[in-house]
Amino acid sequence: MIQLIISLLVGVALLASLYFFVRRSKPSAEGSAQQLREARQTLDSLQFGLLPNDLVHRIFAKEDLEYVVSSAPADVQSLFLSERKDIALGWVRRVRGSILELMRFHRGHARLYAQLSAATETRLALNFASLLALCRFLQIAVYLRGPYAAPGMVRTVAATAGRVCNISEQSLQFLKVKELDPLNNTPSSHGASV
Amino acid sequence: MGIYIQTVWLSGLLIEGIILVRSVLGRSLAKYPFFYLYIASVFASSTALYVIGIVKPLEHGFYWPKQYVTLFLGCGVIFEVSRHVFAQRVTLDRIARWTMLVIFGAIFLSVAIQAFVLPDWNVTANTADLERDLRIAQAIGLMTILLLTGYYGIGIGKNIKGMILGFGIYVGASVFSLTLRLFVGPRFNPAFGVIQNTAYLVALSVWMVALWSYEPEPTEKPPSSSGGGYQLLADRTQEILGSINDHLDRTVPR
Repeated sequence: MIQLIISLLVGVALLASLYFFVRRSKPSAEGSAQQLREARQTLDSLQFGLLPNDLVHRIFAKEDLEYVVSSAPADVQSLFLSERKDIALGWVRRVRGSILELMRFHRGHARLYAQLSAATETRLALNFASLLALCRFLQIAVYLRGPYAAPGMVRTVAATAGRVCNISEQSLQFLKVKELDPLNNTPSSHGASV
Repeated sequence: MGIYIQTVWLSGLLIEGIILVRSVLGRSLAKYPFFYLYIASVFASSTALYVIGIVKPLEHGFYWPKQYVTLFLGCGVIFEVSRHVFAQRVTLDRIARWTMLVIFGAIFLSVAIQAFVLPDWNVTANTADLERDLRIAQAIGLMTILLLTGYYGIGIGKNIKGMILGFGIYVGASVFSLTLRLFVGPRFNPAFGVIQNTAYLVALSVWMVALWSYEPEPTEKPPSSSGGGYQLLADRTQEILGSINDHLDRTVPR
């Protein structure tokens, strides 16, 4: 019976793979200036838009809750909690989207190299998967328990966010390659500016 | 032999002939030698089986040897597909080949062990078992190629795309029909014949369209050295991932 199930599963998996293979869109030309610029924008948004201390601290600030609880009626408190939860969920969703974008960028560029490290690629794939799962877990946790469920969360977020930004800043250097140069303003050559 | 099977069989022979003629006219014969060897062997053996079926309707001794020859050539086709798809990616080609070699090795090892350990076991009495196992190995080989090309977004040309699709349809249908035949028994034989022949006709039609003319695989320009090597890319990605992971890990409510 186990043989039967395994064989049928292999058959189903193959046909499903073929279905997605047929539906697969044409791959984009990775490594183009446009691609590099998009990747740079994604990482910039992660670094400056989603992870900065101030923003993360603001989203999860317990002082706001304490203020609302102490000075507003129950329906306002409820509205505040609901809106803050939506913001927190939106934040996690965008971080997740940026991670997906980073993953896409890495895969798109890695494929251009003839010699890849199978071990590194496997590790990266697992890391991406675990990170995306963690984001999902965070979404569920915020959805079920709200953004103020964990004591000390804001403090740890604020502390780590700054460090993340610093590391990200260094990490972004690899995108500052010569391919980006034509995008910079060179009015003497073509007069256009990006 | 039912009228449907006979029609499918003759249509198959016709399409195989067309594919072989087009391979010469379209100058793709030298590009995909294993694939055309596979088609030629199926064409020759199917013609022989058809003639034998008319002359000696009860003679089935030729069927399984023919199946094994085409099965092994089919494995060669998957290696050929991998070679073309990953022509610019040595590591990915190696991963796909090793996956297939390990699976085929495991199957043959299991056959050898059974033949050695079980005194009553012999390969001729378990041909359907072995064929199903080899089809599963082919399916896993194809899925490895599809997974790697999908993950890295590697472009595939029309010819190879057709080969994968056609072969995938046939292998998938074979895995299903062989498995069900082994478990349902002789009652499944009429359905088995219809499924196998129809799937093969569909595969042949896909191949005929996809391989009508030769189309080279899309090539991509390797990255310039100014952006740093692969290791730098992987290290940087890992670094960013690690930092985000750390960040999120501490953010999760505990």
